[in-house]
Amino acid sequence: MREPNHSLDPPDSYVYTGPMSTAGRDINRFALSLKVPANRATFLRDEDAYMRTFNLATGTIQLVRARDWTALIKAGGHLQAVLKIAATVGQNLWHIGAHNAGVPVGDLVEACPRRVGGLPKGL
Amino acid sequence: MARVIGGFAISHSPSMGYEYDKGIASTFDPRWKVWYDGLQPVKRWLAAARPDHIVIVYNDHLNHFTFDAYPTFALGVAPEYPQADEGFGLRNFPGLTGDTDFGWHVANLLVRNEFDLTICEDMKIDHGIYSWLPYVTAPPWPARILPLAVNMIRHPIPTSERLRKLGQAIRNAIQSYPSDARIAVIATGGMSHQISGARFGMANEEWDREFLRRIESDMEALVAIPQEEIMRIGGTEASELAIWFAMRGALSEKVRRHYDFYTFPQITGCGVVVFDDLAA
Repeated sequence: MREPNHSLDPPDSYVYTGPMSTAGRDINRFALSLKVPANRATFLRDEDAYMRTFNLATGTIQLVRARDWTALIKAGGHLQAVLKIAATVGQNLWHIGAHNAGVPVGDLVEACPRRVGGLPKGL
Repeated sequence: MARVIGGFAISHSPSMGYEYDKGIASTFDPRWKVWYDGLQPVKRWLAAARPDHIVIVYNDHLNHFTFDAYPTFALGVAPEYPQADEGFGLRNFPGLTGDTDFGWHVANLLVRNEFDLTICEDMKIDHGIYSWLPYVTAPPWPARILPLAVNMIRHPIPTSERLRKLGQAIRNAIQSYPSDARIAVIATGGMSHQISGARFGMANEEWDREFLRRIESDMEALVAIPQEEIMRIGGTEASELAIWFAMRGALSEKVRRHYDFYTFPQITGCGVVVFDDLAA
């Protein structure tokens, strides 16, 4: 497992910016629709059909079908939005984190908290 | 006029709420029992302080607001604030009770003080408030709540200095409220944490404890740190610590540290610091 460092760059960190929000607009709209229980049920009945109503590209639909949380985040999906998709399909934050870190969920759970030290420059 | 009696700043996280429900239903995970036990003095402080109103500065996590319209600052002015369904279903807690008379007073004063925030007559509240609230009090909630949401999930986020000034503006609003109400100010944001990327789960206790120490009487040094630097050493979501400045800014120079506590259960630095405001 890659040790935590002080980097704000991928793959260590994904700082969520305005341009990422623009890129992920359709993903986020779809994902946040899943806050409504009835929408969760509709999605689970036919994932592809539900996602097509949100104008998602075929490639993006495939990322959701593959539960490729890391690719969805790279495509502009906000973590908090991607979490709604994960919750709907019976996963949680740990699954997203483990996917991002490239390790099995159990290994990540075992490793946390992943201790680092250091104070901000100038303090 | 109303007065600021004190307040506290506290971490929030989804797992904090989830582990509370599990702990109360059966047994607490030992790591979360530490946090539960550590918050008992806060619970006692809040009961003894008897606030009539509590202003809570927090952040939403795409649970009420969406990016279709995501306010940088949003004030709830409503008789009730329901709990938000975050995708896992609702937890067994009632909504928060608001007070629109106090809410409109604060809205007027904040906008007059150049905080032109979004006023929300419907605002559902997520784990930003619900995750820690049951640890420090129990329903029926003991005071009227005035929630103020700050964007912390998409950059640009407001600066640390802006949040300190927001706190001062909240203080001015409270002190001009024609009432003998006792008012507490609470701010909430996670301490060190990062919940995406390969640094997921990073924990910087050294930084968190330094922050807890300095916020009482050396806030200027903390406010001066670039937010990117805080994210670098504390995790991308440690930027939420800026919200804590709104609480400290709402209190006077003359505070007494009543209590603080810190632990790192899993993936979020869990800290709390409680101040009595002696200026009253």
